[in-house]
Amino acid sequence: MMPPSTARRLCFLSLLLLLLLLAAAASATADAAAAEEFTEELLLRPLPDRKALAHFHFRSSAPPASAAGRHHHLFPKAISQLVQKFHISELELSFTQGRWNYEQWGGYDPMSTNNAKPPGVELWAIFDLPLAEIDATWKNLTHTLSGLFCASINFLESSTAFSAPRWGFKLNEGNLRYGALPREAVCTENLTPWLKLLPCRDKAGIASLLYRPSVYKGYYHSQKLKLKSSQSLGIILDQTLTVVLQPNTVSGKQLHSTGGQLQPSWSMEHLFSKKLSGKCLVSKSSRVFVEIEKGIVDNVDKAGSDVSSNNDLFVLSTAPDRSLKELDNLEVQSSSLYEYDVNNYNSDKPLNVGITWKLPLIWSCTRAPYHASRFLMGSGNERGSIAMSFLSTGLDKQLVDSSNDCSIKAVVFQVVPWYVKVYYHSLEVFIDGNSKAISEVVDKIHVTPSEDKLLPGTMEMLLKFPCSMQLATLTLDFDKGFLHIDEYPPDANQGFDIPSALVSFPEFNSSRSYPEADPLFVSPLLENFKEDGVVKSYTEVLLVPLTTPDFSMPYNVITFTCTVLALYFGSLLNALRRRIGEEERGLKKAGILNKRGLIPLLIAKLRGQKVDPSESESTSPASLPRSKLLLKVVFVAVVAIVFHYLSNS
Amino acid sequence: MAFARWVPGPSRPVLFFLLKTLPLLVLLTFSSAAPPAASSPAAVHNNNWAVLVCTSRFWFNYRHMANTLSLYRTVKRLGIPDERIILMLADDMACNPRNNYPAQVFNNENHQLNLYGDNVEVDYRGYEVTVENFLRVLTGRHESAVPRSKRLLSDEGSHILLYMTGHGGDEFLKFQDNEELQSHDLADAVKQMKEKHRFKELLIMVDTCQAATLFSQLQSPGVLAIGSSMKGENSYSHHLDSDIGVSVVDRFTFHTLAFFEKLNMYSNASLNSLFNSYDPSMLLSTAYYRMDLYKRALNEVMAR
Repeated sequence: MMPPSTARRLCFLSLLLLLLLLAAAASATADAAAAEEFTEELLLRPLPDRKALAHFHFRSSAPPASAAGRHHHLFPKAISQLVQKFHISELELSFTQGRWNYEQWGGYDPMSTNNAKPPGVELWAIFDLPLAEIDATWKNLTHTLSGLFCASINFLESSTAFSAPRWGFKLNEGNLRYGALPREAVCTENLTPWLKLLPCRDKAGIASLLYRPSVYKGYYHSQKLKLKSSQSLGIILDQTLTVVLQPNTVSGKQLHSTGGQLQPSWSMEHLFSKKLSGKCLVSKSSRVFVEIEKGIVDNVDKAGSDVSSNNDLFVLSTAPDRSLKELDNLEVQSSSLYEYDVNNYNSDKPLNVGITWKLPLIWSCTRAPYHASRFLMGSGNERGSIAMSFLSTGLDKQLVDSSNDCSIKAVVFQVVPWYVKVYYHSLEVFIDGNSKAISEVVDKIHVTPSEDKLLPGTMEMLLKFPCSMQLATLTLDFDKGFLHIDEYPPDANQGFDIPSALVSFPEFNSSRSYPEADPLFVSPLLENFKEDGVVKSYTEVLLVPLTTPDFSMPYNVITFTCTVLALYFGSLLNALRRRIGEEERGLKKAGILNKRGLIPLLIAKLRGQKVDPSESESTSPASLPRSKLLLKVVFVAVVAIVFHYLSNS
Repeated sequence: MAFARWVPGPSRPVLFFLLKTLPLLVLLTFSSAAPPAASSPAAVHNNNWAVLVCTSRFWFNYRHMANTLSLYRTVKRLGIPDERIILMLADDMACNPRNNYPAQVFNNENHQLNLYGDNVEVDYRGYEVTVENFLRVLTGRHESAVPRSKRLLSDEGSHILLYMTGHGGDEFLKFQDNEELQSHDLADAVKQMKEKHRFKELLIMVDTCQAATLFSQLQSPGVLAIGSSMKGENSYSHHLDSDIGVSVVDRFTFHTLAFFEKLNMYSNASLNSLFNSYDPSMLLSTAYYRMDLYKRALNEVMAR
């Protein structure tokens, strides 16, 4: 029999153990259940050319599959199934209409680096599979995405539409595939399934602002889906929508007393015809940011006031909850962000962030070191040239020594369809108008030449430009190929597109860091800004007119051939069967035919009169036919004149 | 009965008789809402599908897109969900650079109704709308990679509405100005569908010029077809919207919609009343329907 104190101790210990086990179990389940997160953010920014940028950012994250199983309560199941089925480690799919205006809207900040995408559809994916299986998986992936997002992404399935860059796009070991469809239309049907991936869809929270006519009336809109998956971190899905809009305000055209023109004062209601009446209830955080760029901040500093939400140059309509200032390398303040927490607002007190300008202001956004653009040269349907130009924008490279060794690196990645047959040996480089040897400028080049109907031509180049250069031009000659008549699209005479080329500057980094006041929570938007992003810009899409056949030729051939055959057979049958003059001889034999002429004979026959052979002309044979001819001519002339007058009256 | 005057051919007295007795049938069966027994003993009507096809490209064919989207909106409103609708649009009108009202498609110049709305899912768009893909959708013979949302997953209990609009002619329908769907191709596809038990009843509506010729070769039972015009007649557009700059709807579809806008999901209207609502003087063509393959009397609600 145990002493009562030992028994009590044992009891107490077992109870403690039980409690510990329960706590551990509870925390484990709590960890697994709470790990699916959703955050939504909106960033608004005034642009120098009187427009406004709105950037929606939604992030859903799911823990690793082993912990959570196959049940999700926030994360879209379609995406997790996609990742598991196709073994995707990274994927980005963007739908864009419009062209990002690098001169006005900037090229050096994280927004333009991450969200300025080429027009149409761009898809790239990195697979976690052996290299031999990747092409088949890519094909199935394109079909699945086309069903999911109501777009013709399945056109990227054939080997003529995608390429496998090694270092020109993103450094990889051969498991990256890239494809672009420049002519794909983007409309509400692409946004509908994209919004259905969000837990609150477009019914609550920041996504409820998306008034479709406003979004599609903009100058640029790009919806993007980016996902990263790993065994340790699970799946992180970032959905962003970037829209550049012209706010429709009355004050836009006012002239200020000082003579300059005020920038338009706008608010969320002007942009979207709606106010924000609360957050999505399942979101972990919901914030609205207003970004005031370095250019404006410098002007405010010059005007002498401090950069608060209400200063001499502008005033924000609602007082922000917080303001964050970006610190660059030299600890000098550049841009600043004003943050609003949507949790504090609801349908009774909706949030309508806006900016009102007090003084006219002109500023500019920082641009990439070179402005890259691409155009076609040459004329005719046989050959041409692709030219790419790099125009210096005056961004100084922060290097101590400005001797001849200073150079700026640029990486060019270009995919050209097979029917534009580029001759890569004809590459020529001109720096400030002078032709240079390729080895002086091109550091590294990797070319996959095109094969007819099989592969597009891929080119990845690393160029080194001297810092003092103003303008560089690269030219490549090409021949135009022929397509089979079945391969032409229905509107073949519009031309064929060469997708945008990507130019990146590896030595320039576009990251921005905002010191976060709340150490517990990091905003995904600001996290993206902090990421090391290489400055990138996309060039224009080129439209190449190819020779098109005359599509009506099959019809014409059939018609001509049938006509020729009909004429041939008709005349053949006539020649074989008909005897010329037989009828006349028969009539003459019967003595019926006389010199009265054909028309009277016909008339008599019609009347049913018997032709009397004894009747004969008594008048002189020479003048009568002539007078008859004259009568006929006069008759025809009278009929023609009457018809002319009747038709004109 | 406006139809009686216009029906040609030797079967006129028979048709006369039929048309006279149909209202009686309608009255008799109007009270009882239960549908009659199915033609095959095993199949009971348990789902509805819609395949809506617009085959014309380019801005001046705006009205064909508006036709199809009007039917899409009607069909969704009366109860068929997006998962059961295959929508094929050959071009993008709503976000077309020439559209003054981005993301909005109208079928009336009063611009009261935005057909595009906020929730539209297009399954086949642009260059994907081809005769091959259309026939693959009907017969269900796709490549293995094609996703489920692009397949017609109907079974022997399905009622399917197939609506086609575009430019057509004698025994053909033009796809994107590039290729043609012939009437015997369509008849073959429907025959395959019947053999594979892909539908219980099929209603084909065609709004093109000489539409009735497109289903002249059909032979499968259980198919009801209605076209907007007969052989030798054109189908006309309804009105021109001077703001958008092109015609926005065709006459046949306009009158069809006028009929359906009065209905909701619970109405009990019959097809016969739909057919009676077509007035040839308003359509400027004869809406012709073919019911010889259809065994039941015309007392069925479209959406049920």
